[in-house]
Amino acid sequence: MIIFRNVSKIYFPERTVALANVSFEVLAGEFISIVGKSGTGKTTLVKILTAEERASEGQVVVGGWDITHIRSREVPYLRRQIGVVFQDFKLLQKKTVLENVAFAMQVIGARPSRIRKIVPEVLKIVGLADKHDRFPRHLSGGEQQRVAIARALAHGPKILVADEPTGNLDTATSQEIIELLQKINQIGTTVLFVSHDQGLVNQIRRRVLVLDQGTLTSDEAVGRYRLS
Amino acid sequence: MLVTIYRVIKFAWQGFWRNFWLSLVTISIIALASLTVNALLALNVVADSAVTSLEQKIDVSIYFDPDVATPKVKEVQDYLSKLSQVSAITLVTADDAMKEFRQRHARDAAILETLEELGDNPLGATLVVTAQRPSDYPEIIQVLNHSPYRDLVSDENYKDHQRTINEIRLIADRINQAGIAISALFILIATLIVFNTIRVAIYTHRDEIGIMKLVGASNAFITAPFVLEGVLYALCATGLAVAVTFPLLNAVQPYLQDFFTGVPLDLAGYFRENFIAIFGSQLLGMSALNMLGSVFAVRRYLKV
Ligand SMILES: Nc1ncnc2c1ncn2[C@@H]1O[C@H](COP(=O)(O)OP(=O)(O)O)[C@@H](O)[C@H]1O
Ligand SMILES: [Mg+2]
Repeated sequence: MIIFRNVSKIYFPERTVALANVSFEVLAGEFISIVGKSGTGKTTLVKILTAEERASEGQVVVGGWDITHIRSREVPYLRRQIGVVFQDFKLLQKKTVLENVAFAMQVIGARPSRIRKIVPEVLKIVGLADKHDRFPRHLSGGEQQRVAIARALAHGPKILVADEPTGNLDTATSQEIIELLQKINQIGTTVLFVSHDQGLVNQIRRRVLVLDQGTLTSDEAVGRYRLS
Repeated sequence: MLVTIYRVIKFAWQGFWRNFWLSLVTISIIALASLTVNALLALNVVADSAVTSLEQKIDVSIYFDPDVATPKVKEVQDYLSKLSQVSAITLVTADDAMKEFRQRHARDAAILETLEELGDNPLGATLVVTAQRPSDYPEIIQVLNHSPYRDLVSDENYKDHQRTINEIRLIADRINQAGIAISALFILIATLIVFNTIRVAIYTHRDEIGIMKLVGASNAFITAPFVLEGVLYALCATGLAVAVTFPLLNAVQPYLQDFFTGVPLDLAGYFRENFIAIFGSQLLGMSALNMLGSVFAVRRYLKV
């Protein structure tokens, strides 16, 4: 589903090496955690996956599509196959929960009938069906992240990427978000969970990639993440 | 597809209202640019009708010696009327000329008295020649001067409105040049304002745009509402220009009419007759400029 082959990323003009010769492969249906200290290139890896940045070297393939040199007008079609959520939710404050999810479908040309069908479905998956007419500021952090996840699911993506989705949440709420991600994984979506929280990652008991200063230092099927 | 177009229009419409005051200012500036162009146009209409009506007033009077008999004068009239440059010739006989002279000085006893003393009619016949075009007069006079009839002519009075015409043309040209410069300046300012307005619109929509990019909206879909917003500005501005132009024309019409007495002037009529050509082309031009401004702003600030 995802292949990184000897991928390096150097940011200019500072010549910061964010990723150095990173190789791994993610199969369809996997739940994979990418962990590492802050500033070790996790977000850079996500950005290369969503074509927000291009790899300086190496090859990147997503769903059989070599996106290493993807053209800018092809990027939207890649993004429709990958759902992304972030630490800061990125919700539109002036739109309700329902409108936030619907907006994501409207802007890629989904028919109204389809929007009416899908939005309640994804809101049900994240457990917010009853709060569809609330505005983001009237929701807890965990609920806001659920809206963001619902929005990411609206296109029916093959891959869901969560870059530090629990960064702004307390432990109990983080736990719930992890459970939600696992549930989504069970429905059949490949999940990429990016985090620097070792406790959280260690109790998932799925595959873990460890990044350290841009280098992949560990890749275990039932991984543990130890701070060295 | 239809639903996409509907959404683009909706987003453009929302953007328009979201920065309402900025939109209003933008529209006003574009309308102002449009008005300067219209003022320029009106000026040309005025200058043209003034020149045309003066050109119609140009003629040349050929005065014959008093002893030249009327049949001879008729001969000259026939000769000249064969010239292609001549459009009309009227013959004023010596008697007619006298009658007119007496009428003109009916209250001047001294002149009438002198006339009585002279006894004979001291005035000769006159041919009043109108040419096809103002530039034909020198040729007509030249033909006459090289003809066998030249000795019959005592004088010719080329009623030279040409200088006045040239002056009007000169002034009109000057004002025109200034007008073109001002219009160009206004158009430039309008384009920059549109550019800036779209920039602000993009800034106010940065969250939405971020989400759109994140979820895979096409660049065309992200860009289109802003371009459409530019067209919307042009549309409103043209409407405003129409609403302002006609009352303005009607307001200045009497003053112009006073100034150019005898010149047929119907500015509002002219604008009404050429409505589609004038305002249509302005709408198209402004739309094109605004689209250009928006596309540039989008390119520059959206990095799509
Ligand atoms: N746009 C950028 N320009 C320059 N340097 C960057 C940019 N983004 C990230 N970096 C640098 O690359 C390194 C990795 O950053 P990042 O991928 O955000 O790490 P993480 O998400 O693991 O915290 C850091 O040293 C960061 O300063
Ligand atoms: Mg990060």
